[in-house]
Amino acid sequence: MSLQKPLMRGMLGKRLRFHLPIAFSLSLLAAIAFKYAVTEPRKQAYADFYKQYDATKEFNAMREAGIFESVRPSEE
Amino acid sequence: MAHPSQLGFQDAASPVMEELLHFHDHALMIVFLISTLVLYIIVAMVSTKLTNKYILDSQEIEVIWTILPAFILILIALPSLRILYLMDEINDPHLTIKAMGHQWYWSYEYTDYEDLGFDSYMLPTQDLAPGQFRLLEADHRMVIPVESPIRVLVSAEDVLHSWAVPSLGVKMDAVPGRLNQTAFIASRPGVFYGQCSEICGANHSFMPIVVEAVPLQYFEKWSSLMLEDT
Repeated sequence: MSLQKPLMRGMLGKRLRFHLPIAFSLSLLAAIAFKYAVTEPRKQAYADFYKQYDATKEFNAMREAGIFESVRPSEE
Repeated sequence: MAHPSQLGFQDAASPVMEELLHFHDHALMIVFLISTLVLYIIVAMVSTKLTNKYILDSQEIEVIWTILPAFILILIALPSLRILYLMDEINDPHLTIKAMGHQWYWSYEYTDYEDLGFDSYMLPTQDLAPGQFRLLEADHRMVIPVESPIRVLVSAEDVLHSWAVPSLGVKMDAVPGRLNQTAFIASRPGVFYGQCSEICGANHSFMPIVVEAVPLQYFEKWSSLMLEDT
């Protein structure tokens, strides 16, 4: 009864063929996760903010709060 | 302004800063992509029992790890150049203001129509009113009309300074004997803070910049009042 010939070569290649696709997939997943968790919500947040933004109303609110130096609240 | 434990940029108050924010998100996404890949490979390299892994070659992988980084760099360069050219577009400003850096205050000159000029010193901490920001408030703010293209000519009277307002996406070195130009549009009314961004001596950290964006009719009233005062 003879022993089975041990694996002599191609071990690194085998390891790489197993791990590199996983590495690339994980990194792509990280990028996609960042895009949909951070990038797109941020773009949407800015779009939504300016869609409903009333500059005059906001300015008057800031004015009455006394934030500006060039424009004092209307009672003053 | 910046707030404690802030990680990212301040909220954008100009269109260019919004573009820069989105570009940063794009570049950071690529950074995470590469970092994840490298981290996984490091862990895989460190956790193997294989010993013969150093003197090897493979033409295929050499091609891949040459072409792929070049492609990633192009992916970063294209939006970057787009913003660069966007910033340099002919913008026909409605107003030109000169910001001059001194040790240790800024002076602003509005000379388009009349000769208006004033200095802007930091408000000392003991003189702050409740609700004002330490080391950021100034006695005279640079007031501008909102939603108007503004050109700022930046220079210095003594040493190097730098005029920067992060939320407007503006930073320009103030060099003695040189006139640097930058431009921006304030998308919304408000008060925007910045600090000198080039080391200029003992009080470099104590010469802030405050930009106040108000509707045009209030800007005009303010500039008339300022002219009467001077």
